[in-house]
Amino acid sequence: MDSEWPHRALNRLGFGPKPGEAEALRRVGLPRWLDEQLAPDTGPDDACQSALDACRLRIKYDAGEGWAAVEEMRPLASLSKPIDALWPLSDGKKPFAGPERQFPRLEVAAATLLRAVHSRWQLREVMTDFWHNHFNVYAGEQAVAAALPAYDRDVIRRHALGNFRDFLEAVGGSTAMLVYLNNRSSRAGSANENYARELFELHGLGRGAYLNALYNKWRDVPGATAGKPAGYIDQDVYEAARAFTGWAVEDGAGLGGEQRLPATGRFVYVESWHDNYQKRVLGQEFDPYQPPMADGRRVLSLVADHPATALHLCRKLCTRLLADDPPETLVKAAAQVWMDNRRQPDQIARVVRAIALSPAFADTPPAKVKRPLELVASFARATALDMTVTNGLLNEVDSSGQRLFGCPPPTGYPDRSDAWLGAAAIRRRWSLLLGLAENWWKTGALNAALPFAGPVTAAEAAEGWQRALVGGPPSADVTQAIMTGMALAPTARLTPGQKDGDAKLRRMVAFVAMSPQFQTR
Amino acid sequence: MTHDPLSVTRRRLLQGGLAAGLTALPGVPSVAYAAAGPTGSAAALDTLVVVFLRGGADTLNLVAPVNDPDYRAARPPELRVAEDGPAAGLPLSQSLAPSLDFRLHPEAAPLAELYREGRLAVVHAVGLTDGTRSHFVAQDLMERGVGAEAELSRANAGWAARWLAARNAVNKVGVPAVASTPHTPAALSGFASALAVADLRAGLAPPGGTQAAEVLAGLMRAGDGPYARAARAALDGLSLIDTRLPRLPDGKVAPYSADGGAVYEETEAGRGLQNVARLLKMDIGLRLAWVDVGGWDTHEHQAGRFSNAVRQLSRALAAFWADNARDRGRVTVLVMSEFGRRLRANKSGGTDHGHGGAMLVLGDRVAGGRIHGRWPGLSSAQLDRGVDLAVTTDYRAVLAELVGSAVFPGYSAQRVGVMV
Repeated sequence: MDSEWPHRALNRLGFGPKPGEAEALRRVGLPRWLDEQLAPDTGPDDACQSALDACRLRIKYDAGEGWAAVEEMRPLASLSKPIDALWPLSDGKKPFAGPERQFPRLEVAAATLLRAVHSRWQLREVMTDFWHNHFNVYAGEQAVAAALPAYDRDVIRRHALGNFRDFLEAVGGSTAMLVYLNNRSSRAGSANENYARELFELHGLGRGAYLNALYNKWRDVPGATAGKPAGYIDQDVYEAARAFTGWAVEDGAGLGGEQRLPATGRFVYVESWHDNYQKRVLGQEFDPYQPPMADGRRVLSLVADHPATALHLCRKLCTRLLADDPPETLVKAAAQVWMDNRRQPDQIARVVRAIALSPAFADTPPAKVKRPLELVASFARATALDMTVTNGLLNEVDSSGQRLFGCPPPTGYPDRSDAWLGAAAIRRRWSLLLGLAENWWKTGALNAALPFAGPVTAAEAAEGWQRALVGGPPSADVTQAIMTGMALAPTARLTPGQKDGDAKLRRMVAFVAMSPQFQTR
Repeated sequence: MTHDPLSVTRRRLLQGGLAAGLTALPGVPSVAYAAAGPTGSAAALDTLVVVFLRGGADTLNLVAPVNDPDYRAARPPELRVAEDGPAAGLPLSQSLAPSLDFRLHPEAAPLAELYREGRLAVVHAVGLTDGTRSHFVAQDLMERGVGAEAELSRANAGWAARWLAARNAVNKVGVPAVASTPHTPAALSGFASALAVADLRAGLAPPGGTQAAEVLAGLMRAGDGPYARAARAALDGLSLIDTRLPRLPDGKVAPYSADGGAVYEETEAGRGLQNVARLLKMDIGLRLAWVDVGGWDTHEHQAGRFSNAVRQLSRALAAFWADNARDRGRVTVLVMSEFGRRLRANKSGGTDHGHGGAMLVLGDRVAGGRIHGRWPGLSSAQLDRGVDLAVTTDYRAVLAELVGSAVFPGYSAQRVGVMV
């Protein structure tokens, strides 16, 4: 293995190394590092907790009908609140200003950035980000915003390294997903197909297993009559939609007559909304009148156990952890680990471990373009910036193309490099880095002298920061571009601590981070 | 076609002051665009604006046969266009199905006017012949310009990218393609100089001033990865646009003032089409502009959401039309979506994924005031798989009349007649 593997590994299994972390990983080796990161019971994380406790976000709105004007700095108080404490924000009839209703999204977005930067449990954070995209919900919708803290805490984070079948049920029964993909309003008779379709196509089997263009009837799908269909068609979607009728949210909806559900935002199964008759999903017969939720649970098990799901999920994991087009042999090997461990409580952790320890993981060169969240976090970590999150930073991240929890389609943000290379988005990537280096948004002052003891020459500074940010030996092209563009002689003295020296050094740090070497992982 | 569209193009460009504007900018010989000709005989239009309605627009609630008993039976009143009453649909004269009364959604009044003026055409029962009901498969197929999933592996570039490449728009100075989206859509993938720029209001110069611009140019010079390549294209394209944005005395970008009394609303469609209009007037050699408009995936609470979406889209198209009088003869707007929705409503007050849909085409050279295509009917036996509006016109047939059939190798286009 080449000498830069620890740096690369920490860019993929975490949000980039802090100073000294690559060397530490080299000493302990990847297997032991993984043991610690994948341990089910993560210990206390004081630095991260204090960053979360210290963060304040501004909320400001004018007086309106039923509310007074507000302008204040608020802690991230919603993160620990139960769903019923936030659910009133989703009620359009209650007097809340728009910014109040959207505030939980800002809080979870801020916490996501803070944890990416400060958490000891970096791999857990990477997987949390992965699953938030895999099981994407759009918090631009008010009821989803109200449900977001619970979704992040009790569904995504709880299961990020756990068992996929359990994870599917936690997602399927979550308020955020029941709202976002409309299953809460699905009723026997003409079920809403939104959730069932995306369960197959996005959460589970994947579009490669969607065979609707080839087969009109379920029994024509290869393997279907033996109970092992190669894929699914619309008839499976229709039947699965029927299976999930009755999975709903206590959102005050009428139950007929004078009766209404309470408005707590919690999950509820409503028997009278369920389609009780027999069904047939993925080649399996469901008898009529099953116990409560049994139909839906059986669909989730069929999805979780299907070999296409193993391939789909493992391809996505390898795409995230390695490269846009990961080697197919690795995808298949990971899928085998997935299938072998599908009854294990730490199934996902085992698959991640197998991918991280594969030869392909070590051999894959850094070519994947960092997403904005990765860019911000890896910059803050590499520069040892004691970063807090402010509204200004959140706005800039929003404009970079990765508005956290603000992706409208259920695919989540794409995990391919070209999705992050739109012209205006690239410009925002540069703003993000310059703004962090120059503290435009009051996120914290950068110590531009981090890699040096005292005054340095311009060329030494450019090279020192390349070593700090990129890990390998400095590139003469990058040094040259910075010297020329900044009109600095390589021998010019830069003195940290002095205004001019700091200003030039901070820009230089940002420029190094704009280089292709730092932008890819 | 008897006239040479190129000569018209050149004359119009010169009349429009393009040449004069360019001489003021040394080193930007974009006038060369006017000489880059179309390759297919049908590919005569200069600039195509694609408005893609993401999510599967319920076009059976936009242009509908209001007196068809099958239509009325399948949906509650709030999910269909009405025959009478206070929110009656807007009548469209048509010969698609003379016995049926096709009407536009009442919120689409600006579109009804453009239709009456003969500028707007509808193509109905159009879409993918592939059986998919997946958003993402359908969008992929439609953006790559293929008919079935098996063909995806052979189509690395999007159809818009293929069109631009065939028109020799690669390696020209200028900005031949812009997407008003966060990242370039799949239709433009493979076309390296496509710029994804959704907002011009704050200018587009790189942050950090000329110093940063110089450093960035140096950093990207040697790189051959996707990031360095995209960054180079971004630096060139963004600075070209940025230098042409009118400034206020304090250096800030002047607010856009539309022509023709046009008013763009602060909606996705409004912002996107305003963006395109502003870029067109900069004469940067724009050949293709792409605008995404979301919010059409109405599985639930469709009535209000769909009305809003139709109103916003209609007003944005009308504003663009009014604003863009100078270029009407050379700019055509195509509105499309990945599929139409299910004929029958669900119990959430919405509609699920369907099949056939409708396209809109707007421009001076459009055979407007007509509904094109072949109407398949809405009885159970006439529906695709018994549930959805059948597709009788391949979406590529419409595209081929706009950009030429050579862009769709292996597809022999049926004639629709959407352009005069």
